[in-house]
Amino acid sequence: MLTLEGVHVNFGGVQALKSASFAVAEGESIGLVGPNGAGKTTLFNVISGVVRPSGGRLDFRGQSLLKLPEWKRARLGIGRSFQIPRPLGHCTVRENLIVAQRFGARTNDPQRIDEILDILNLRDKADSDATTELALTEHKALEVGKALATNPSLLLLDEVLAGLETTSKRAFMERLGAVRDRYKLAMVIIEHDIPTIAALCPRVLVLNFGQIIADGAPDAVFRDPEVIRSYTGETTL
Amino acid sequence: MIELTLQALFSGLLAGGYYATVAVGLALVFGAMRVINLAHGELVLLAAYIAYAAESRYGINPVMAIPIALVVVASASAIVYALLSRIEHDREINSLILTFGIGIIMTNGILTIWAADIHSTTNPWFQDSLVIADTLFAMNAEVAFFIGGLALMAGVYWWLNHSWQGRAVRALTSNRNAAMLMGVNPRQTEILSFMIAALLATFAGVAIYTGKTVFPSLGHVLTVKAFIITVLAGMGSIHGVLIGAIMIGVIESLTVTYLSASLQELAGMLLFLVVLFVSPSGLFGGRRALAR
Amino acid sequence: MKHAMKHAILGAALLAAYVGVPLLFGGTPYVMGLIVAALTIAGVALAWALLGNLGGMVSFGHAAFFGVGSYTSAVLSMKLGVPVFAALLLGGLGAAVASVAMLPALRLRGPYFALAILAYAHIFQILATEMTPITGGAGGLLSIPRFPTLFGLEFGGKTGGYVIILTIILLSAFAYDAVRRSAWGLALKAMHDTEIATRVIGVPSTHLKAAMLALSAFITGVVGAFNAHFISFLEPDYAFSSTWTVLPIAAAIFGGYRTVWGPVVGALVIYLLDQLVFKPILPHGHQMVLGVLLCAMILLSPGGLLPVLLRRRRSEGGRHAHA
Ligand SMILES: Nc1ncnc2c1ncn2[C@@H]1O[C@H](COP(=O)(O)OP(=O)(O)OP(=O)(O)O)[C@@H](O)[C@H]1O
Ligand SMILES: [Mg+2]
Repeated sequence: MLTLEGVHVNFGGVQALKSASFAVAEGESIGLVGPNGAGKTTLFNVISGVVRPSGGRLDFRGQSLLKLPEWKRARLGIGRSFQIPRPLGHCTVRENLIVAQRFGARTNDPQRIDEILDILNLRDKADSDATTELALTEHKALEVGKALATNPSLLLLDEVLAGLETTSKRAFMERLGAVRDRYKLAMVIIEHDIPTIAALCPRVLVLNFGQIIADGAPDAVFRDPEVIRSYTGETTL
Repeated sequence: MIELTLQALFSGLLAGGYYATVAVGLALVFGAMRVINLAHGELVLLAAYIAYAAESRYGINPVMAIPIALVVVASASAIVYALLSRIEHDREINSLILTFGIGIIMTNGILTIWAADIHSTTNPWFQDSLVIADTLFAMNAEVAFFIGGLALMAGVYWWLNHSWQGRAVRALTSNRNAAMLMGVNPRQTEILSFMIAALLATFAGVAIYTGKTVFPSLGHVLTVKAFIITVLAGMGSIHGVLIGAIMIGVIESLTVTYLSASLQELAGMLLFLVVLFVSPSGLFGGRRALAR
Repeated sequence: MKHAMKHAILGAALLAAYVGVPLLFGGTPYVMGLIVAALTIAGVALAWALLGNLGGMVSFGHAAFFGVGSYTSAVLSMKLGVPVFAALLLGGLGAAVASVAMLPALRLRGPYFALAILAYAHIFQILATEMTPITGGAGGLLSIPRFPTLFGLEFGGKTGGYVIILTIILLSAFAYDAVRRSAWGLALKAMHDTEIATRVIGVPSTHLKAAMLALSAFITGVVGAFNAHFISFLEPDYAFSSTWTVLPIAAAIFGGYRTVWGPVVGALVIYLLDQLVFKPILPHGHQMVLGVLLCAMILLSPGGLLPVLLRRRRSEGGRHAHA
C-alpha cells in the first residue's frame, strides 16, 4: 500500500535519509530499528508530510503523497504518533480523540471513541486535561489513540513503548496487537527493544546513518553481521 | 523625461536613507529581543518634536537639539524596554499590544502638547536647494542627513561586526539559546539594542523635521514603513534593510512623479504584498525567521 | 436546576436588553446614541477577540473590514437600490471577501501577520479615497439610506438602531460560542501550541485560520455596514479610521479577549468612559487614556478584567462550598 523509492532528506549538512526504498503491504507489521539518529523519526516525518524530502518517490495506494499536506495524508489513512508526545493543548483526552475523528476520519462516532479509550486503557482519564494530567504511559497511549481515531489503514508508531517498565510494556504490546487485529491495520513500529519487535513484527527494517541496511525476518536480520556492527559500532563510540 | 526620472531616482535615494535609519532601529530591537516595537515610529516622532520645540521656543538649531532629543528619546526607549521586560506570558502577542498601547500614548501625548498642526523647520538653510551636476535638486537637509545617516549606519554596522557588544547582539539575533550558553547577557544586550535604536530614531526624527514635515499621526506611518522595509530585507540583515529602504524610497518617488502623490504610500504597500506572496522570507535575508 | 437558573438569567437579561433599555432610555436620544455607538465598538471588539482567541491572530487592521463593510453596504443600497437589510449582509460578505486578499499573510507568524494586516488596512483606506466614482472619494457619501420600517417597527431611529445592533451582537456571540464549542473550536485552540500535531490528525489548520479570519471580517463588516446606515454618512478617513481598531482592541483586552462576553462588556465600559470622562478632560488626546489602559492591562492582568472578576466570585463560591 505504501511505497518509498530513493527518498532523500537533507538537514543542512546532515543527510538524514539516503535513498531509502521499501514497501509496506496491506495489513503488514514492520519493525523499524536502528541506532539513535539513524533517521527513523525522519522517515515517519516524510511519510506523514511533516518533512519534505529533497528527492525520491512516495506513493500510497497508487497515489503520490509528495504534494499532499499532512492533513490530507491523514485523511487518506496514514496515522502516526510522535516520539515526544504532543497532546492537543487545552483539551481533554476525549476531546483529543474527537478532534482526530472529526477531522481525520470525518465521522462522528462516539462509540468508536469509547472503544479506543477502552483498548488503550484511558477510560478513567477521558475527561482529564491531556497536557497536564497524564502519566507517561497515558501520554504514549494517547498518541496511539489520536492516530487510531483518524481511522487509519497504516499506523506509524514512534517509540510508543520506550520508557515503560516491563509489565506495562507487555500490557501495552498486547493492546497494540489487539488494535492491529481488530482494525486490520498495517503498522510500522519504531522500537529499540529487539524482543518486543520480534514478538510483534514478522518483518524488520534496520536503518543506519539514513540507509536501510537490512530488511527481512527478525531472526535473520538480527544475525546479520552488518546490523550487529551498526549497533556495536554505536556502543563503542 | 530622463531628467525627471533621474530626479525621481535621486529623491527616492535620499528618502530611502532616512527610511533606513528608522528601519535599522526596528530590526535591531527585533533581532535582539524578538519583539517588534510598534512604538518605534513614535520614538522617531518624539525626536522630531523635541527639535521643533527647541527651535520654535528657544531658537536652537535642530542639529544642536540632537543631544537633548537623544536624552529624551533614549529615556523613552528605556521605559519601553523596562515595560516590555515585565511581560511574562504570551510574549509575542502581549508585547505587540503593549508597544501598540505605548504608541497610542505617545501619539496622543504629542497631540496634546503640540496640537495636530503640521510643522517643519523655520531655518532656511535646511530648505535651501542644492544642485548637483546641474540637473539634480535636493534640499541641504536631505543631503546632509543622508550622508550623516549613512555614516551612522556604517558605524552601527561596524559596531555589530567588530565590538564585543555588537557581536553579542548578532549572536542573540541568530541563535538566542546558543548565545546565552556562550555567556551573552541578554538583558544588557537588549538594553543596548534599544539604546542604539534610540540613537538612530533621534537622528531620523531630526532629519524628518528638517527635510520633511511632521504631524502627530506620522509615527504610526513610520512604524509601518519600517516594518515593510524589514520584511523586504528579510529580517536580520542591515545592508538588506538599506537596500529595502532605498527601494521603497525610489518606488514612492517614481509613483509621485509619474502617477499621483496620493498613491505614494500604496506603491510601497503593493511591493510589500508582492514580496509576501512570492518570497515570505524577504528579498535579501533568506533567513526563515519570517515564514513558518 | 443549574441549567434552569442559567436560562432564567439569560431570559431576564434578554428582556432587559430588548425591552428595559428602550423603555428607560428611548426618550433620551443622546443616551441611546451613546449606547448604540458603544455597541458598535462592542461588535468589532467581539470579532477582533474571536480572531485572537480562536485564530491565534492579533490584528491591527480591523478598521479595514469595518470600512469595506460600510462602503459595500452604502454603495449597494445607494447606487443599486439594494434593500438596506440585504445590503447589511452583503457588507459583511464584502469584508469577508476583502479578507481573502489577506490570505497570503496567514503564512506569516504572529507579529508579521499583525503588521501585514495593518498594512492592508492602509491599502484599503487609500483605495477608498482614490476610487472616487464609487466611493465619492475624500468628499464622502451623504444621505446613505437609513433602516426602513418593517412590520410596523421603525428601525430608522435611535431605538430601532439599538435593536438592530443588539441583535447583530447577540447573533455574532451565538455564532462565536457555537464555533468555540465545536470540534473546530477544539482544533483551533490546540493549534496555537501544537500546529503540527493537529495537522497530522487531519486538521487543515490554515483553512481553519482562514475561516476564522473570514468570520471575524464578516462580523466586523456587518457592524461597519450597520454604522453607515445608522449615521447615514461616510468618508474614507472616518470609515477606515484607526479608531475602529484602537477602541475594540482596548475593549477586548480590558474585558478579556479569551471570553465571548468580555469584549462586549469591555466596549461598553471603555467607550462610555472615553466619551463621558476622558473626552471632556482631554478633548484631543483622549485616546491616550486608552493607551494607558491597554498597557496597564497587559502588564497587570493580561487575561482581562471579566475573567478575573468571575474567577474571584467562583473561588469564593468554592470556599463557601468547602466550609
Ligand atoms: N528538523 C531537523 N533539523 C535538523 N536536523 C534534524 C531534524 N530532524 C532530525 N535531524 C537530524 O537527522 C538525523 C536523524 O534524526 P532522527 O530523529 O530521524 O533519528 P532517529 O532515528 O529517530 O533517532 P532516535 O532513536 O534518537 O529517535 C539526526 O542526525 C538528527 O539530528
Ligand atoms: Mg526518533
